[in-house]
Amino acid sequence: MARRLLIAGIAAASAAAILALGGLWHRTPAPATASDVLPTAVAAELQKGFAAGDTEAEVSGLQAELRANPKNVKALDTLGLADEQRVRETGDATYYTKAEGILREALSLEPRDLIATAGLGQLALSRHRFRLALALGRRAHAISPTTAGVYGVIGDAELELGRYAKAFKAFDRMAAMKPDVSSYARVSYARELLGHIPAAERAMSLAASAAVGEREASSWTHTQLGLLYLGHGRPRPALDQLELAVDLAPTYYFALDGMAQVQTSLGHLWEAIGYERRAVDRVPLPQQVGLLGDLYRAVGDRVDAQRRYALIGVIERVLAANGVKNDLDIALFDADHGIALTHALELARKGYVDRPSVFGDDVLAWTLARNGQCRAGLPYSERSLRLGTQDALKFFHRGWIAACLGDKRGAAEWYRRALALNPHFSVLWSSVAAKGAHR
Amino acid sequence: MRKLVLGLVLAAAVAALIAVAATRGGGPKAASASSHREAPLISQDPTADNTDLYAFVSPDKPDTATLIANWIPGEDPAAGPNYYTFSSTARYDIYVDQNGDGKPDISYQFRFKNLPSQFFLGNTQQSYTVTKTVGKKTTTVGSGLLTPPDNIGPRSTPNYSALAAQGIHQLSDGTTVFAGQRDDPFFADVGAIFDLVAIREGTGATGGGKDFLAGYGVHSIALQIPKSQLDNGTNHTIGVWAATDRRVAAVTERRKSASAKDGYGNGGWRQVSRLGNPLINEVIIPTNLKDKWNASSPANDKQFETYYQNPILATVLQKLYPQFGPFQDTNRQDLVDVLGTGLKLPMLNFTGPTFADELRLNLSVPPTAFDKIKPLGVIGGDLAGYPNGRRLEDDVIDISERVVGGALIGHSLPLGDGVDANDQPNLHVFPYVPAPFSGFANTKGVTSPTHP
Repeated sequence: MARRLLIAGIAAASAAAILALGGLWHRTPAPATASDVLPTAVAAELQKGFAAGDTEAEVSGLQAELRANPKNVKALDTLGLADEQRVRETGDATYYTKAEGILREALSLEPRDLIATAGLGQLALSRHRFRLALALGRRAHAISPTTAGVYGVIGDAELELGRYAKAFKAFDRMAAMKPDVSSYARVSYARELLGHIPAAERAMSLAASAAVGEREASSWTHTQLGLLYLGHGRPRPALDQLELAVDLAPTYYFALDGMAQVQTSLGHLWEAIGYERRAVDRVPLPQQVGLLGDLYRAVGDRVDAQRRYALIGVIERVLAANGVKNDLDIALFDADHGIALTHALELARKGYVDRPSVFGDDVLAWTLARNGQCRAGLPYSERSLRLGTQDALKFFHRGWIAACLGDKRGAAEWYRRALALNPHFSVLWSSVAAKGAHR
Repeated sequence: MRKLVLGLVLAAAVAALIAVAATRGGGPKAASASSHREAPLISQDPTADNTDLYAFVSPDKPDTATLIANWIPGEDPAAGPNYYTFSSTARYDIYVDQNGDGKPDISYQFRFKNLPSQFFLGNTQQSYTVTKTVGKKTTTVGSGLLTPPDNIGPRSTPNYSALAAQGIHQLSDGTTVFAGQRDDPFFADVGAIFDLVAIREGTGATGGGKDFLAGYGVHSIALQIPKSQLDNGTNHTIGVWAATDRRVAAVTERRKSASAKDGYGNGGWRQVSRLGNPLINEVIIPTNLKDKWNASSPANDKQFETYYQNPILATVLQKLYPQFGPFQDTNRQDLVDVLGTGLKLPMLNFTGPTFADELRLNLSVPPTAFDKIKPLGVIGGDLAGYPNGRRLEDDVIDISERVVGGALIGHSLPLGDGVDANDQPNLHVFPYVPAPFSGFANTKGVTSPTHP
């Protein structure tokens, strides 16, 4: 069962986590509540994965091949990528560690192996190690400048490092070389960041069309398309997309979480709780556990909310033990929930160095503001909007900082803009924005 | 570019799967971090994936040639709600080179449309348009044509053969067309080939292989074209390949003339997959060049000639089976000829000096009657088969292993994968490819009850 696995994992992971985080970790989870938070997912089911018979079967076949021929680089490559795909499908971060070992083994046998190099680049991206990812992407590019995927690694890394012109150029190269779900999805995201929403929707529709026949990618693209609609004032078409996404992959945590967000925006909080519980039962992903806590809080169930909040620190430790950098995510959660704000600011500053993107700008701005340093936060909040991104939460943060600096009219304008995109953009903050919008 | 590896080793893995699931408990479990947008990096894009191409003089209508191109590997008949269709955002191409320069002289292009509510109701029937380009002149030769639906089962799609027959249409230029789901006619011991070209028994030609494609479907486009439209009147040889295109989308390169108001109009088409001779993308082209190869035109294939000249498969055969060697893995002019220019000795389908990966068919070679077909084609003494075009019956795995093994340079070995024919009998009339298994009647995963 997931909770047993999680608890078992904590023991194994703690030592590594403490090493990884040094003395920075202060939050203490409540063990008594953690044990009954994740009731249903069965180990075998988790192992079987998301689409039984897809990636899991490949993994088993490859493992058999490698027992017979341990130096088969192609099989190592494929197994490494299959393990990365399994994290996409199941959210189980331990496969990151497995994938890394396997791909490093392939590289030791074949130092200029393209798949292993690009695969490690993708792995670094997943772990939010964007500078390492960029170095690996460039190395992969030197090995094969005509392979579209290497531009994906380079572009994703540049994007998270805040170098948007370079990132978009890489995406353009990628999409010109090979239009497919991978490049369309990146083009869509870039257009979304630029605030060109209908164009972003068209590119994501192309991605969804090019994903047909690949269950995870299909469900992922329909989820993304739904979230695009949802974030830009169109909850009904968003619902259609999420219904499709959940139909395609009824146990896919990413689609279930997307559906929970849509239900939240439609004001169906109990339905949202149902979907988010299903998501979290499959995979306890910190943001989703956090949203579930917020939803319980919103319906007045503080006990259930606290249980979820208490779990987050535990999950973050397991992630850290598997090499994932999550400083900004933790800072955002803590800033939102008023937890250890001084520490949250430390984390945000540290995370910002690793990830000076518009997301980094936004988290640092918000964490500064929540620490009462609104004047220091303002330039970061402005930077977070420099691409023209139409993002209700960033608008809200900008408005909150304006209010904090005494500019009530400016704040009201930003709040109205946030609410125009999505009147239910956040379980925690929409109502704050609604009050402030009428000043 | 049939992907031999992923998705098709399922059967072999079932036992291993159970073992692994039983032993791998515990360990830390947690979710991936997600604040960064993780788009997929590697896509199979099955609806754009060319799996096989066939070209032969129609045995039952010898004044016509039949071209069949297949897409979407490994369609599992029981995979609903994920039913299979052609992509409505891709363009499907079949190209004919009449003069051996590697450039298309006649192109057939197909665009498919989903019918209303297609996705939600599980209706897999599509409408499509066929355009034909001869030289620089493009005409629409068919529009509003319908594919049959996928073979779901006797309740959703009763009398499937009759239903499929309604999917045979006449184009305005006298060509007959079919597009829709079919049984995958390719046969191969994919599991063993993936296992380092393992030959299960002896040199492999004694049977005992497992057809990993048995029971799976594909999407076929079949054309039956009057030979008079194809024959160049001199060497009577055409070169054929199939491809898939998708539209480019861009972030920074906004087009002034674009239709959309925001400047992000439809980009041009870019080829993402192609197929002429079988197994080239898998066996000949190195990983680092696969994207480039798939985006290239046969006219520019000279840049890949060295990989035909020095095939990695021969090196692998030498390493694995030294007892059958030596296998020559350099200077393989015989492979360059047979795959890149056509056969000169015997003078069969040579099209000139331009090296271009095309399936070459000499239209003047009379077809072999269905009951006389030799699956080893030319090396089996049957000049109407691969590598003179390719018939559904041709055993291209055995032929390829033998030719790479040296069959044309005096090193004949009965190599093979032990799978010699499709699991389904091919039809003797157009579209020749057998009907797909239905989801209801599919043969995979059938179990016996262990309790009453």
